[in-house]
Amino acid sequence: MMVKFDNVTKRFGNRAVVDQLSLEIDEGEFVVLLGPSGCGKTTTLRMLAGLEDATSGDILIGDERVNDVPPQHRDIAMVFQSYALYPHMTVAENIAYPLRVRKVTKPEIQRRVRRVAEMLEIDSYLASRPRELSGGERQRVALARAIVREPRVYLMDEPLSNLDARLRVQMRGELKRLQHELGTTTVYVTHDQAEAMTLAHRVAVMRGGLLQQFDTPMNIYHRPANRFVAEFVGTPGMNFIEGRFDPGTGTFNGRGLVLPLAGHQLERLKGRERATLGIRPEDVQVAVAERDGWRRAVVYVTELMGNETLCFLRLGDEKIIARAAADFRAEMEMPVWARLDLDKADFFDAESGEALR
Amino acid sequence: MTAQRRQAKSFGGDGASLAQRSRLTRLATYVALVCAVIAALAPVYWMLTISLKSEVDQFASPPRWLVFSPTLAHYRDAFLSRSFGQYLATSATVAGLSTLGSVTLGTFAAYGLARFRLPAKLGQRLSLWILSTRMFPPIVSAVPLFLMMRDLRLLNTMAALVIVYTAFNLPFVVWMMRGFFQELPRELEEAAMVDGDSRLGALFRIILPLVVPGLAATAVFCLIMSWNEFLLALVLTQTDAAMTLPVGIAGRVTQYEIKWGVMSAAGVVAMLPILIFAMAVQRYLVRGLSLGAVKG
Repeated sequence: MMVKFDNVTKRFGNRAVVDQLSLEIDEGEFVVLLGPSGCGKTTTLRMLAGLEDATSGDILIGDERVNDVPPQHRDIAMVFQSYALYPHMTVAENIAYPLRVRKVTKPEIQRRVRRVAEMLEIDSYLASRPRELSGGERQRVALARAIVREPRVYLMDEPLSNLDARLRVQMRGELKRLQHELGTTTVYVTHDQAEAMTLAHRVAVMRGGLLQQFDTPMNIYHRPANRFVAEFVGTPGMNFIEGRFDPGTGTFNGRGLVLPLAGHQLERLKGRERATLGIRPEDVQVAVAERDGWRRAVVYVTELMGNETLCFLRLGDEKIIARAAADFRAEMEMPVWARLDLDKADFFDAESGEALR
Repeated sequence: MTAQRRQAKSFGGDGASLAQRSRLTRLATYVALVCAVIAALAPVYWMLTISLKSEVDQFASPPRWLVFSPTLAHYRDAFLSRSFGQYLATSATVAGLSTLGSVTLGTFAAYGLARFRLPAKLGQRLSLWILSTRMFPPIVSAVPLFLMMRDLRLLNTMAALVIVYTAFNLPFVVWMMRGFFQELPRELEEAAMVDGDSRLGALFRIILPLVVPGLAATAVFCLIMSWNEFLLALVLTQTDAAMTLPVGIAGRVTQYEIKWGVMSAAGVVAMLPILIFAMAVQRYLVRGLSLGAVKG
């Protein structure tokens, strides 16, 4: 265990921004805190950095309780969303700063700055000032400043959000490699689920200050703990059908839609009248021609994405999104045929949204 | 401007009348500006010429506007024979020390007010309260200050003026610097602290270097205010040993004679540093003052 949040709460006034958070992060692990804005992920990171005080609970780095340790003594490095490069210093001075304040010798500073700069391919700008650099270059300098010191934990607060889409994908890959090579525990905050899925060993999904689920990307996607996680992860999001369970016929009844359930699903819904069925767009198949056992649906609209086509269907009175092949073509209001792969469906409690397993 | 004019011409008809009208507006603006400049500079011109004229020329009627034989006699008289050299030194010392004091204290106060969350909006309230002391007319405090300085046995000392000017400039420094600090993102210090620096280290290594232009402008403004101050200097100092230049100059108006030449020469010398400083920092001053106004 490298980082531990033990029942940590942070209040601003009466509002709990982070509410009784407990989280254990292993040595060398890459953990992403994921959630919409205002979910408490950045506050959690700032508490770990020492930039905010926890109202209650313990924060541990290694075996040391760090609640009362100021940031400069926590042995962490942080990459800020705005990069927070020092504008009056050159790139080399920026990268050297953490070493300089720790009184590392001059030749040693030079050696390490050069090595990190080469690693991140910014060695040709060492004499430039931050304002002369592009967004991607600044981002690299911020990263270099963080890794030059070999701290116990890296903290990253939406480091890629100021980059354009193309550069973001490229840097995402490089970050992943970098973390793999350095093997340093990393806590990374983002609202971008694609970043979370691609980077993390484990993802902590947060909402309204509460931890929703802390698990591997695979499990977050395929076994979401509740409706919120299911909805937040995946583009387009999961389809939800609110309906009633009829134990007599063994069917799940949505609006104008009757779905027969398999035995293990009946088991999960036992004793319930209402529930929410969730199914991912890729588990909904759609075809222009009629097929055996498929259901009639009407095309609401289709969106060509290039590599695939998103097909918004009206199935009964429910609206369902299906992920279709790139060459799927259908006009609005055209009748088509759809199949829901119910084996892959999830069920959620109608009120609490908790997954039923 | 020439490009504009060319463009106006090429439009023809309507464009020409439009261009004419805008030319007229511009002409009126310039006339008004020239009048304002004349009004502002006339006394300066008068003082400058008087300081260089012999006494005969000073009182010639009609006045000799430009043609006279210049002399430096009044400058010699003021700074070599009389005590104006000493007044100048006093003014410089008092202005310098009080500026150092108010800028140092005010910068730290401003940093605290700009960065730390205080309970019950105390930061905001404290800032406004500090500002309100600036609206207070100095004449109201003249007598109490005189009594305080008398009891402290500081009358007729430079220390009295340094203390009083430091106090009077402090609110200004706090507000100017608070604006400059607020303009800088918090992440800069946060990054510095995470990088291993203390808050004070971050202030000195990261924040202060970034506000140097603002700091310089603020300091110059303090210098100017201390340098120009007349009322409190008059009340608190009456001997040559602690008299500042403005008080010294005014002292040449006696019931027997008015030494126009000497006063003008001293006035010109007193004006020079202000002129130079104001020109050097006017850009920052406007920015700093409006910043405080908007963000307060």
